[in-house]
Amino acid sequence: MRYRLLATMIALAIGASQPLWAQKPAGPQAAAEGPQKTTAPYAAPRTAWGDPDLEGVYTFATLTPFQRPAALAGKDRLSEAEEKALEEQLKKKQEENIATNEHFSYNALWFASDQGRPTGRTSIIVDPEDGRLPPLTEYGKKLREQMQAHAATKRIGKDVVVDTWEDLSTYNQCIGRAMPRVTQEYNQGAEILQTPGYVTIFYESMHDVRVIPLDGRPHLDSNIRQWNGDSRGHWEGDTLVVDWTNFTDKEKSDGSAPFGGFPQGNLHVTERFRRVNTNTLLTLVTVEDPTIWTRPFTYELPWRADDPTYRGPDDLFEYACHEGNYRMMEDDITAAKAVRAAQSGKK
Amino acid sequence: MVEGGKIPYQDWAAAKKKENFEKRLTRPVTRELNDTTGDPEAKCYLPGVPRATYIGLPFLIIETAKQVLLSYEFASATRIVYMDRKPKPPADSWMGWSVGSWDGDTLVIDVTAQNDKTWFDRAGNFHSDALHVIERYTLWTPYHLMYEATIEDPKVFTRPWKIRMPLYRRMEANIQPLEFKCVEFAEEFMYGHLVEKPGR
Repeated sequence: MRYRLLATMIALAIGASQPLWAQKPAGPQAAAEGPQKTTAPYAAPRTAWGDPDLEGVYTFATLTPFQRPAALAGKDRLSEAEEKALEEQLKKKQEENIATNEHFSYNALWFASDQGRPTGRTSIIVDPEDGRLPPLTEYGKKLREQMQAHAATKRIGKDVVVDTWEDLSTYNQCIGRAMPRVTQEYNQGAEILQTPGYVTIFYESMHDVRVIPLDGRPHLDSNIRQWNGDSRGHWEGDTLVVDWTNFTDKEKSDGSAPFGGFPQGNLHVTERFRRVNTNTLLTLVTVEDPTIWTRPFTYELPWRADDPTYRGPDDLFEYACHEGNYRMMEDDITAAKAVRAAQSGKK
Repeated sequence: MVEGGKIPYQDWAAAKKKENFEKRLTRPVTRELNDTTGDPEAKCYLPGVPRATYIGLPFLIIETAKQVLLSYEFASATRIVYMDRKPKPPADSWMGWSVGSWDGDTLVIDVTAQNDKTWFDRAGNFHSDALHVIERYTLWTPYHLMYEATIEDPKVFTRPWKIRMPLYRRMEANIQPLEFKCVEFAEEFMYGHLVEKPGR
């Protein structure tokens, strides 16, 4: 099957001890060392004005979990056979979900077409080496306790109560979806457009646009905070390096980025985008917030252009989230009142 | 900016517009009210075309060979304009489906498949889902675009009509579009009636 071959290609491409872009390109030096078995590294095509061409429509869907499961501790990669087994296991689970959850509002049919493929690794996180998020600082632990304590006040038995719109995540309020985007459940399409001096990323989810100037201008003043932060880019060889800051503390890393639901006010993200073959941008994303994690962490996520769900820009449909949210809000808050009334009735 | 000064409503529609105006800031305390009454912009709903153009916040035009991307500060509204082919809209949407072409130095965008839920302005000027908009963007001076839009809706108007207005290029150094994610400003208005004690 074509896609299995691609998954293998990605596994091989990132099989070297260094990430692909850290390897020196083959050049006169390599030739002087004599004939080599390896093929020349992929040379990315160029835009009309000479920048590396990252344009295209992609999905960042993947079957690989963000953190390495405890059962796979110490194991960096899956073999091809293990990958195939994982895909089949997930496919079977998905079919079971569809069969048993037909009346559930978000059954697996929602996610059927947009689940991506495994990357070949056992986790999306590649640093720390154990494939897990780094330990929290004392403050990070305190924050987590506070968040858990607050969440406990919104649970009655099995029910999670939404007393007011602020009890929902910013995602479910349709204010925004946290950045950087890692695997979500659906609508993981994105498009990259390039013009001289800018790279623009359009995310289908929340119809968000990031405009990344390449001219070296400074970031917005640190007093200006945005849900999607502020991005500045430059080229290092064929790699686009983006410095991402100015996130608002009001946005929490829940919803899409599974970093544990922490506020993003001190977040600093460095993204690296590099085209490694016709259909793949490999992104390497370093996330740091020294107030929350004891060290930065890095994850590697392919953006793929060969998914049948996202063949072109007309596969990126308008994501009118808030426009469709009224009933959900009404149902959630009304139900919460009923649950609380039932609880106080029981007492 | 309406050429001729008046929007050519059919008789029933002129009455409906008046009703829209009177109820423009109705709080959506029921689903039915939310779906039928009041200015959707007050709820931070996507503004549709052409309202997004003159809503009062800047927007960015990104032009590539195959596509134009229009990115509006208001509610992060976004439009993809297909330039190299004419795909068909799979369904209606708030911002419609845009297919573009060049007429000399004028960008012409044909907008179809808008739903019937947007208004043209706070005054209650409205349309149906048969709305068809043809926009023209022409570079007029290095600092102005001239924007024209022909608006056609046989269910609501007696004939097509046109708006025309200059768009002023923002000349600040290092100008960039900023966010106006207005959902959080609309929540109290929309959902406050549901909670025991509205407000923070």
